Amino acid sequence: MRQIIRLFSDYLSQYFKTRLAYRADFVGDFLSNLVSELINLVFIVVVFQHVSLLKDWSRDEIIFIYGYFLIPFALFSMFFGFWDFNERYIIRGEMDRILTRPVHNLAQVCLESMAPDRIFGVITGLLIMGYAAIRLHLSFAWYDIPLFILLVISSTLVYAGVYTGIAAISFFSDSRTGISPMIYNIQNYGRYPVDVYNKAIRITLTWILPFAFVGTYPAAYFLRKEMWYTYTMLTPVIGVVFFAIGLSVWNWGVKKYQGAGS
Amino acid sequence: MAKLYAELIRIRFLTMLAYRVNYYSGIIIYGINIGAYYFLWGAIYGDQQSLGGMTAEQMTVYVAIAWMSRAFYFNNIDQEIAQEVREGKVAIELIRPYNYLSVKLAQALGEGMFRMLFFAVPGMILAGLILPIHFPPTLGHWGVYLLSLIMAFIINTQINLLTGILTFFLFRNEGMMRAKRVVVDLLSGLILPISFFPVWAQTLMGFLPFQVINYYPSKIFSGAIAMSDVAGVLWLQFAWIAILYLPITLLWRRARRNLVVQGG
Amino acid sequence: MIKVSQLQKVFRIHQARSGLAGAFRDLFNRQYKTVKAVDGVSFQVEEGEFFALIGENGAGKSTTIKMMTGILTPTDGEITINGFVPYKQREDYVKSIGVVFGQRSQLWWDLSPTESFRLLQRVYKVEGEDGKRWLDRLVEELDIGGFIHQPVRKLSLGQRMRCEIAASLIHKPKLLFLDEPTVGLDVLVKQKIREFLRNLNESERTTILLTTHDVSDIEALCKRVIVMDQGKLIFDGMLSDLKEKWGNGTEIAFQFKQRIPVAELRGLLGEYPCELFAENEYAVRVKLQRSREMLPLVLSSVMASYEVSDVKVMESSTEDIVRNIYSVDSEVAVNG
Repeated sequence: MRQIIRLFSDYLSQYFKTRLAYRADFVGDFLSNLVSELINLVFIVVVFQHVSLLKDWSRDEIIFIYGYFLIPFALFSMFFGFWDFNERYIIRGEMDRILTRPVHNLAQVCLESMAPDRIFGVITGLLIMGYAAIRLHLSFAWYDIPLFILLVISSTLVYAGVYTGIAAISFFSDSRTGISPMIYNIQNYGRYPVDVYNKAIRITLTWILPFAFVGTYPAAYFLRKEMWYTYTMLTPVIGVVFFAIGLSVWNWGVKKYQGAGS
Repeated sequence: MAKLYAELIRIRFLTMLAYRVNYYSGIIIYGINIGAYYFLWGAIYGDQQSLGGMTAEQMTVYVAIAWMSRAFYFNNIDQEIAQEVREGKVAIELIRPYNYLSVKLAQALGEGMFRMLFFAVPGMILAGLILPIHFPPTLGHWGVYLLSLIMAFIINTQINLLTGILTFFLFRNEGMMRAKRVVVDLLSGLILPISFFPVWAQTLMGFLPFQVINYYPSKIFSGAIAMSDVAGVLWLQFAWIAILYLPITLLWRRARRNLVVQGG
Repeated sequence: MIKVSQLQKVFRIHQARSGLAGAFRDLFNRQYKTVKAVDGVSFQVEEGEFFALIGENGAGKSTTIKMMTGILTPTDGEITINGFVPYKQREDYVKSIGVVFGQRSQLWWDLSPTESFRLLQRVYKVEGEDGKRWLDRLVEELDIGGFIHQPVRKLSLGQRMRCEIAASLIHKPKLLFLDEPTVGLDVLVKQKIREFLRNLNESERTTILLTTHDVSDIEALCKRVIVMDQGKLIFDGMLSDLKEKWGNGTEIAFQFKQRIPVAELRGLLGEYPCELFAENEYAVRVKLQRSREMLPLVLSSVMASYEVSDVKVMESSTEDIVRNIYSVDSEVAVNG
């Protein structure tokens, strides 16, 4: 683990060296992420021109949840940005190279596809949350800050676990899987309050693909919605459990990959 | 030449068939998206009868049709071009005796036809069983819808070709292509019917090619545009195809020159 | 050092049905065929050996290498290398090996090789003075100092391959796998790489396993050769034995000063197993089967008895041998 953290700083500096070589793309990436983030905001704003409440949630509460959601999502895509895992590591066979190196394979894959520029997503999220918090006249205590950090890390773990588990499907197939767009689309559900959906989806989003823990549940605490507090407190547990599951599925996949091969 | 393109379309079609995990996950993705917006709109409507000139029922149908249309016109041709440029494969493509962009168009069509046949048609039949969808009543209505859908495909692919060709100049532009994708989804009316936008935004979007990609074809399908007005929509689409043809040709000519200068 | 016994690897290969209807059926129901890629292969390698693994495409070479490097798990059989079981203790084991896949780069495309080396030093935890000195030596011996500060994508294939080799040796592994390291390289670069490898093998006693299609690599470097075909090991031994077994034998062409009837020569070489061909009255070709013991005997007895104006010894080249193996084998395959 210590070695991975030290390697992290090395990869980080490699990243910046590469990035400086392609400045245009840096700007392009930054703008594209910003555009994607703002387009959902546009959706919310436009819809609330026609209605005043979505279930029991006001416009600014929805925006607050969305702002919170952006932060773990940005952190997740910063460290688990191997969207092209299937193509690059399985089809083009780079997994073989990973397996001949003495560092845990998932850590290597994460480090190689790290995207530190997603830090801007965190900033956008904070700004959106801040805007909504001011409009809602929310007040925070000092302990809300460590709690916030804990919840954000837990939410990130939820994403990381689910994505790692799903990406591991690539190990079981020798061809293109289209898995990455899938996770990219599932995250849609994290953005809006879970009680928008029917019971089956709500249960799914709580216990099976627990994306409610990436948005609604933790954000509800700061919105002082007491009916969700139990779920808020469950967030760290869910984060750890799902990350552990994701990691096991990954390890199982690697074993399977080594067994099948090509 | 026509035979070559027919063969390219067929091969892409078969390639899509060969990746079965890809096929299954594709179905799930569409299910996820349609489901998300279905429930979201349900909640947004709540007790209200009508929003933005559409009833809740019309909205559900709209979501279903819009996503099915997208299954046909959507493709990642720009990312394929970008990858071929980066890996230097494009130089080999250029010495082959065909037009590279037409090849890409043909491949996109093969992909679109696959998704149409294996996603959209079964999806629509399924949706028709659950939702009160009013299918186009006559063969003529069907024909007009399909025609506008094909033109929507061409326009969307043209936009993709444009962003793809930009790779020749920027070398790396994944970011821009990703941004383009979400912008097209928003401005084409996929996630939000155009009629929901404030009037000034609607006026602005009238000057852009995006709404003829999804909003108008979907409205033709649902019969929201009278047959007498359909011709206008088709002409508008045709005009956009003609307009977009120009920058593509110009950029493509410059891109090829660039490539020669850089030596591949 | 390396012990491989009864190694086996079975693959399940998807059989695509033909045509559109077939592709459609494949979507829901796939047919598979099992293939024994590696079938009961056993061999042992001592420390400091330099040996080659050869065979046609699909003979099972890469699968064997992948199992030996810990990438694949064998279906059956055992491998122990450097005291590890590769697929079980992979992360510890790979610290003791270096791998070069000729077709696949381990360097960061957009960065200079120096950056990659530094990162790999971290990965293998060899950052100290020793690691630095070793890297300097690699850079010097591979003669790559002139371009390791340029981005990898700007290097020529030969330059890149030498950097790949340096990268794979960064942690001074005891065992080096080279999978097709000289494909597409020009003669001079090949020469440099071979010289480096020979030197490495001698001075560091690094065990080196080479798979290649290039017969001249083997002749220049390896004493020992393992030949695989259709998943089976069909030869394991010295290069000279391989020549003996599969070669066309050795031919000696004598040019005599006087006329020598073939029958007379036959009488002289009576007890030796060899064939004689009269070229003309003054010249005779002698074809030997077991050349190693026979060659000196034949030469000395002929030279002692007659006045010889010229002698030529013609060995069959490894290339001929490889061709022989493959052709004989495919005949077997056809008949069987």
